[in-house]
Amino acid sequence: MVDGHAASLHDVQATSGRAIAPGRTQHPWLRWLWSGLLIAALAFLVIYPTAMLLLGALTTTNPVVEGVALSDVSIGNFLTVARNPNVLLALANSMIACGGGTLLAVAIGLAFAWVVVRTNTPCKALIASAGMLPLFVPPLVAGVAWAILGSPRTGLINLMLAKIGIPWRFDLYSMSGMIFVFGIYYAPYVYMFTAAALRNMDPSLEEAAEISGASPARTIATVTFPLILPAIISGMLLSFVVMLGIYGIPATLGTPANIPVLTTYIFALTAWSPPLYNTAAAVAVILMIVTGMLVFAQQKVLSGRSYTTVAGKAFRPRALNLGPWRFLTLGLAIVYLLVVVVLPSLALLIAAFRKFLFIRDIPSLFDMKQYGWQHFIKMFDNPLTITSIINSMEVGLITAVVGGVLAFAIGYTTTRTRAPLRRTIDMITTIPVAIPGLVIGVAYLWAWIGLPGGLYGTLWILALAFVARFIPDTVKALSTSLMQIHKELEEAAWICGRGLLGTVFSVVLPLARPGVVAAMTLLFILAIRELGSSLFLYSSGTMVMAVQLLGYYEGGNIGITAAFSLVQMVLLGLLIGATNLLSRGAARGVVRSG
Amino acid sequence: MSSELRVEHLRKVFSVGNPPVEKAAIDTVSFTVAAGEIVVLLGPSGCGKTTTLRCVAGLEHPTSGRIVIGGTAYTDPAAGVLVPPRSRNLGMVFQSYAVWPHMTVRQNVAYPLRARKTPRAEQARAVQEALDLVELAAYADRPVTQLSGGQMQRVALARAMVYHPQILLLDEPLSNLDAQLRLRLRDDLRRIIKRAGLTALYVTHDQTEAVVLGDRIGVMRDGKLLQLDTPREIYNRPADLFVAGFTGATNVIDGSVRGSRDGFAVIEARSGEILLARHGSGLHDGAAAKVALRPDNIAFEPATPGPNRFTARVASQHYQGTQTVYELDVLGTTLEAMEVGSAARWEVGAQVTIGLPPELCWSYGG
Repeated sequence: MVDGHAASLHDVQATSGRAIAPGRTQHPWLRWLWSGLLIAALAFLVIYPTAMLLLGALTTTNPVVEGVALSDVSIGNFLTVARNPNVLLALANSMIACGGGTLLAVAIGLAFAWVVVRTNTPCKALIASAGMLPLFVPPLVAGVAWAILGSPRTGLINLMLAKIGIPWRFDLYSMSGMIFVFGIYYAPYVYMFTAAALRNMDPSLEEAAEISGASPARTIATVTFPLILPAIISGMLLSFVVMLGIYGIPATLGTPANIPVLTTYIFALTAWSPPLYNTAAAVAVILMIVTGMLVFAQQKVLSGRSYTTVAGKAFRPRALNLGPWRFLTLGLAIVYLLVVVVLPSLALLIAAFRKFLFIRDIPSLFDMKQYGWQHFIKMFDNPLTITSIINSMEVGLITAVVGGVLAFAIGYTTTRTRAPLRRTIDMITTIPVAIPGLVIGVAYLWAWIGLPGGLYGTLWILALAFVARFIPDTVKALSTSLMQIHKELEEAAWICGRGLLGTVFSVVLPLARPGVVAAMTLLFILAIRELGSSLFLYSSGTMVMAVQLLGYYEGGNIGITAAFSLVQMVLLGLLIGATNLLSRGAARGVVRSG
Repeated sequence: MSSELRVEHLRKVFSVGNPPVEKAAIDTVSFTVAAGEIVVLLGPSGCGKTTTLRCVAGLEHPTSGRIVIGGTAYTDPAAGVLVPPRSRNLGMVFQSYAVWPHMTVRQNVAYPLRARKTPRAEQARAVQEALDLVELAAYADRPVTQLSGGQMQRVALARAMVYHPQILLLDEPLSNLDAQLRLRLRDDLRRIIKRAGLTALYVTHDQTEAVVLGDRIGVMRDGKLLQLDTPREIYNRPADLFVAGFTGATNVIDGSVRGSRDGFAVIEARSGEILLARHGSGLHDGAAAKVALRPDNIAFEPATPGPNRFTARVASQHYQGTQTVYELDVLGTTLEAMEVGSAARWEVGAQVTIGLPPELCWSYGG
């Protein structure tokens, strides 16, 4: 039965001349060819740059001048860098900033999850969705906004405090400033994990403790908390890893106070004259090792101790009646949203539209004569602004198309076929999870800078680096939507005489369309806001928005920086809105065809 | 140790929809469970049985009424009394087991004792006793996640009984288990509760479970307690058409009352034939009536003569191996009849004489 079916499949392909057929033909070499192609693509995107990065960390030869030489490869070169006190300082600063930020994120995220899932606080649905907004703000924009609000001398908050006569000042150009901004912007990661855990917990687990005679405090300590602990740890590790790879926030808040962290230190090394590419590679490897260990720990926590509940039904979580206290929790939630959404937006708006950021007194804040479009006009007078926007769109498009197609091919091959080496393909695909964007940037720099006439200096190198950076998440998202398509739908098409490719195009792709559309637009969005890897790969002709924004900030013109931040936020907002519309339209399409 | 449970005029009302309409989840329910007795609340989902149980546990708050355990009122909204669950000294077994996955079997069972600050030696002895009772002593130090569903359920039972609660509450404890295990645990459960001498209130939608487990069964529907009686009474003297139907008397013959004879009501079926049935309440001469009858109480070709003999035509035959279910055209309607035995005696189209025992036919106002 299976043989006959496979034979007919082969006939259809032979007669129609379709060559690529992963997994189901009688020609094993075809399946090997397909798997080989995928592995070659992944080797080109992931393994080769990573290998070059490791090589760079182990040598002292300059890749631009001398090319890559294998002559002086030695672990000693790496150890010299790893023992350098400046490197250790940057590592320590990274640990303190991200550790502190993570603790703050856990405190906020946990409180938020509890308020939203377990209390009768008013408007909690609205609070929950507004609480996710920080995830969409590029870290650099967040850093810029908070620099405007909290720089020690000219920060808006400090100016206000001075006007009111309070002698105390905020200083966000500091370690605690970085911790604060990290903490409030990455709390949603912890929130997502813990809210899901709280929501999926069988309420009778807590009721059983109550019936057993445990007080509410004892119930929380002995039942609720231990049960959501894996989710908390997992959210903690994830937010730590994300913070560790962030460049925008330390660059805006740490650098002015001379507090280097790993990411800013790596970039500083390549901006040196002459650039210290080898040292940068070695520090990038250190960052990659730390990230890799944390990601590994997170996977362990997630797989080892997830307490799935026995009954597979949906629970209605128990909502604690807070009585009048529910307005206090509402107030706290509003304060958080104010701090994380409203204040920074106001700061950007004021800075972008005000002629001078100096504010003499409160009434002058509302003096409309002080406001105008001059910063926007100046910004667009700079040809690089438009170039960077167009370049970003182009890079986004290439990333979305190349990444989407590759991710679909990998996802389909690993979840749906019996192609050889599919476990290996799956494994290589997950490697970039442990590589921060900035490290990918350094790796691509090492991979292509020494090759004349190659990718370096084109938009493609940016796009390919982004594809490599985001391929794990894209494949995971697509695999999920592929797994929701029942295998029998495909088998039915085969029985009807369709070939494998024909089935993919006529059945799988239309059904998976909402997932594919969503994955590709997400790739587009991630690509145009990516800063870390762009830093090392742009050239004057391939300037992108995120780097240009950093340029404006470092150039010291706050008005233009704020204006460009707003332009980027509006663009992102429009794109996210369009994505929602698109994926909804695509979902309707499936309902019609299904 | 075990106490009497009295539920008095319990009512729980909530508002649904927009504009809000008041709906009673529990509509003035009163009953008493004697010390050491097992009472089963039986009814379809949404009948208010679980809500009643949760009110007894203190997990839900009734609108009005009283819950008195061992002579002390634990819930009495009118008097402002609402004792929290932890101070009620009750045991409860949940539908989803609710055993804590991050603890071992022993830790789960010892938890209530630790919350009560029982001395350690006493704790160890009580846990051992409870585990022996549910036959899980050999599994004491396993993580509960390694247990099967039936074993988890027994951990939940041991945990609920280890501190000798005043009353044991069980909320559909067997519904998540597979059919075979359910049968075995059903018998075990009654034996274990009885051996511990506990007062128990048990909620289920499964009538056979109710019959095997309960000293008495309370049938509920739409928040009302329709009948509370021994299984034998519920099955042989159902109080109304719903209780009759829910416990398996699925045949209903429409007719009207035509006086009485030999202590039975005389019912004229739509076919014009006359049958005798037990008097239901509130049936007067000439009134429309419905007669309920269990499929297994229809006798084929009865050997002895008697009242209620009719000629039926076999409309269909469903052979089920150890029994055969027939649909019979008779009395102007279709009745379902069941005959035990692996031989199917009647073919479709056959004419057969059937006997409907008058003392097992119940008439109700229709």
